[in-house]
Amino acid sequence: MMSARSRSIRQGLIAGAIVIYLGLVGMLVAFDARAIITGVLNFATVLIAITFVGFAYLSGNRGKNRAPAQPAITAGITAGTVAGATVAVFSLVVNFLIETLGWNVRNMFTSISDPLIEFFSFGQSTIVGALLMVVFGLVAGLIGGSLHLLSNTYRKVVVMGFAASVFGALGAPLFKVMLDGLNIPNRWLFERDGLTLIGAIILFVVFGAARLGSERVGGPRQALLKVPGTTEKNIRWVITALALFGMAVLPWIVNDFVSDVLGFVGLYILLGLGLNIVVGFAGLLDLGYVAFYAVGAYSVALLTARSSTLVGGAVTSPAAAGYTNFWVAIPITIVIAVIIGVAIGAPVLRLRGDYLAIVTLGFGEIIRTLVLSDWLKSTFGGPQGLTEVASVPFFGLNTRDPQILYYLIYAFAGLALFISYRLKTSRVGRAWAAMREDEDIAEGMGVSVIKYKLLAFATGAAVGSLGGAFFAAKLSVANPGSFTLLVSINVLAVVVLGGIGSIPGVVVGSLVLVGLPELLREFGEFRLHIYGAILIAIMILKPEGLIPDKRRALELHQGDHQPEKGMLSAAATEGVQ
Amino acid sequence: MSHLLEVKGLSIRFGGVQAVNKVDFHADPGEIVGVIGPNGAGKTTLFNIITGFYSPDEGTMTFDGHNISGLKPNALTRLGMARTFQSVRLFNAMTVLENAMVGQHTRTKAGVWGALTRSKRTRAEEDHIRERAREALAFFGDRLSGREDALASDLAYADRRRLEIARAMATDAKLLLLDEPAAGMNPAEKEGLISQIGRLRSDLGYSVIVIEHDMPVIKSVSDRVVALDHGEKITEGSYEEVSTNKQVIEAYLGKAAEGSHL
Repeated sequence: MMSARSRSIRQGLIAGAIVIYLGLVGMLVAFDARAIITGVLNFATVLIAITFVGFAYLSGNRGKNRAPAQPAITAGITAGTVAGATVAVFSLVVNFLIETLGWNVRNMFTSISDPLIEFFSFGQSTIVGALLMVVFGLVAGLIGGSLHLLSNTYRKVVVMGFAASVFGALGAPLFKVMLDGLNIPNRWLFERDGLTLIGAIILFVVFGAARLGSERVGGPRQALLKVPGTTEKNIRWVITALALFGMAVLPWIVNDFVSDVLGFVGLYILLGLGLNIVVGFAGLLDLGYVAFYAVGAYSVALLTARSSTLVGGAVTSPAAAGYTNFWVAIPITIVIAVIIGVAIGAPVLRLRGDYLAIVTLGFGEIIRTLVLSDWLKSTFGGPQGLTEVASVPFFGLNTRDPQILYYLIYAFAGLALFISYRLKTSRVGRAWAAMREDEDIAEGMGVSVIKYKLLAFATGAAVGSLGGAFFAAKLSVANPGSFTLLVSINVLAVVVLGGIGSIPGVVVGSLVLVGLPELLREFGEFRLHIYGAILIAIMILKPEGLIPDKRRALELHQGDHQPEKGMLSAAATEGVQ
Repeated sequence: MSHLLEVKGLSIRFGGVQAVNKVDFHADPGEIVGVIGPNGAGKTTLFNIITGFYSPDEGTMTFDGHNISGLKPNALTRLGMARTFQSVRLFNAMTVLENAMVGQHTRTKAGVWGALTRSKRTRAEEDHIRERAREALAFFGDRLSGREDALASDLAYADRRRLEIARAMATDAKLLLLDEPAAGMNPAEKEGLISQIGRLRSDLGYSVIVIEHDMPVIKSVSDRVVALDHGEKITEGSYEEVSTNKQVIEAYLGKAAEGSHL
C-alpha cells in the first residue's frame, strides 16, 4: 500500500514526464503556434495545463484499496508542484548542459530548440522561468485538487464546458467551413484558426449549461420525456429523422475534402459491417479480410474499366462494348465475392482462433500477390492495376464528385446496416452466436458448423466486396497497392474499437479510425502520434469498445460489482471456467 | 419392441488407453438408464461417441431405426438426441431464453433470405421457437422462466445445470443424455432433480440416459443401471442387482466405502 503523499508525488512526476516528453518530440513547439483563444491562449499551454490538472485531480482520488487520501487540495497541490518542478528541473539541467558545459544536446534530441526552452521558461530568464513553471504547476494542482470540492454534477459541467471550448477551437477550421456553408455569420465565434475570447466563454457557458440541465433531469432523454406528448418511440423517430436529415445535408455544408473523407468513412463502414459478421457475429477471426475489398474492386474494374482486357483486347472489353456498367457489375461482383468467400472458407473450416487468423492472413496476401503477379498481368494489370474504371452512372450526375458519391456510398452502407440488424436478430444470427460462444456445443445443439461458417464467410465477403466496388469506382483505379495487410488490420481495428459484434459500433469506429486521422491532418507529423494515443486511451477506458454490444459489455463488467475484484480477476475466473 | 438406441461392440482407443472396450448398450423408449462407474471408467467417452463427438474405432450404433455411425452431432440432434455436459457448457454471452431458443435450431428452417425479408412465415417460426423455448424453461418453474433475459453466465450454478437440460429439451429430442446432472447440487436441489428426471419421462415422454456419481439419485431414477470400469461394461441390471454385484463393489462402491468420497 502506498502512502497518500508518495502517490501524489508519483502522479506529479508522471505529469512532468509527459510534458517533457511532449516537448522532446517537438509537439509543444509545434502547438505553440496553434491558438485555442486567438491571441490569448495557445494549444501547447492548454495541453500542459490539462496534463497537470488531470494528474493533480487523479492524485486526490480516493483509490479503491488505498488508505483514505489526504485532503484532495493538498494532494492536488503536491502533485501539481511536483509536476511543475520536474519540468523546471528539466529546463535547468538542459540549460546547464548547453550553457555551462557546452554540450550539444541537439545531436541527440533534435527538438530541444530555443523555442522549447523559451516556452518552458515562459520567455523569462532561466531561473525566473523555472520558478514560474513551479508556480504554474502549483496553480494547476490547486485547480485539479479543487475539482474534488465540486459536486459530481458541477464537475461534469465544468469538464463539459472546457471540453467544448477546446474541441470547438481545435475543430475551428472545419466548423468555420460548415458555418460558412450554412451562411451563418461566425466572426464573433472564430478568429483565424482559434476561438475569440467571447466565443470561448459562450461555448463554455452554453455547453456547461446544457450539461447541467440534462444532469438535473437525469439525461437528455429524460428531459425530452418530460415534454408532454413525447414517448420513447417518437423520440427515437425524431432522432432517426434528424440524423438522416443531418446526413443528407452534410456534404453541402462541408467542403469537398471533408465529403471525400466521409466517403472513405462510408467505405470502411461497409467493410467493417462485413467483417463484423465474420468476427463479431460468428466469432471467426479473419485477418485477411482485405481479400474481399480487393475482389470487389477488381471485379468492378474488370467489368467496367476501359483498360480491362477480360474479353481479349481493349476494343472488346465488356465496358467498351457497352455490356456492363457499375450497376450490372455489382450483382456479378457479389456473386464472385460469395464464391471466393466460400472458397477461402472451405479449407479453414477445421481451424479455430489463432490458427484461423494466420491462415486467413495468408489468403489475404495470396489475393494481393495474385493480382500483382506477372502471370496474371494481362488480366489484372500487374503493379499498375486496372485504370479508367468507369464512374457510377446515376441519372447523369457526376458521381466522381465526392458530394454525389457520398449519397450512393451511404445508401449502400444503410443497406448493409439493415442486413446486419436483420441477420443478427434472426435464427441465423442465433446460430452464429452459439457457434461463437462454443463451437462444439453449438454443433451438439444441432447447428451445422460447416454450413454456418461458410455462410458467415460468404455474407461477410458480399458486404465487404461492396466497399471494394465503390472504392474502384471512386478512385477510377484498382491496384495492388491499395489492398495491403494494413487494410485488414484497420478494418479489424474498426470492429474492435467500436465494440466487437456491435453494429452502431462499426459506424462510430469508422468515424474515429478513418475520419479522425484525416481531420487531424492539421497536426502534420504528429497526426499519427495523437491518433495512437487516442486509440490507446479508448481501449484502456472502454475495453469493450465505444458502443459495446450489450451482452459483451455485461460479460466484461461482471466482476465490477464485487469491489475487490478488478477486470483482471474477472478475466481470470472466466479463463478457469 | 426394438430398442430406441442400440450400440454394439463399441471401442475407442486414445493412444495407449483403451477408453471404451467392446461395450454393448441399449436404451428403450420411455426408459431411464443409469450409467455408473468410477472416474475414468469411460462413461463420458461413451456419451461422446453416442452423440457423435468422437467416432469409434469399432462398433455399430443405431438410433430410432437409423444407422448413426459416423453422423455428426448436429445430425444426431436432428434425429432426436440431445445431451448435457459434465462441465456445464452454456452459451455464456447469450440470454437464458436465447440458449433455449438455439435448441430449436434443427426443427426450424429460416435462412438468410427469411432473416432479411422477415416474412410472415419467418415471423411465425420465430414465435414458435420462442414459445417452445419458454415451454422448456417453464419445466423448471420460475427459476429459469423468471430470468429469461439474464445472461446464462449470471445464473447460479444449479440453474446453469437446469438450463442445460432445458436447452436439450428444446431440441424436441426423444432421448436425453444427462452427464452428471446432480454434480455440485445440494441435497434439496438433488431431490428436485430426481423428481424432474422422473417427470421428463412420465409427463413428457422422454427416454433418458443419465451418468451420475450420486448413488441415491441413480437409485431413485433408474429403471436399469449399467456399470462401467476401465472402459468395459462389467454388469447391468436393476439398481439392487448392480449395487450388490461383486465386481461393481470392488471397482466402485468398495472404494467409496474406504474413501467415502461419494
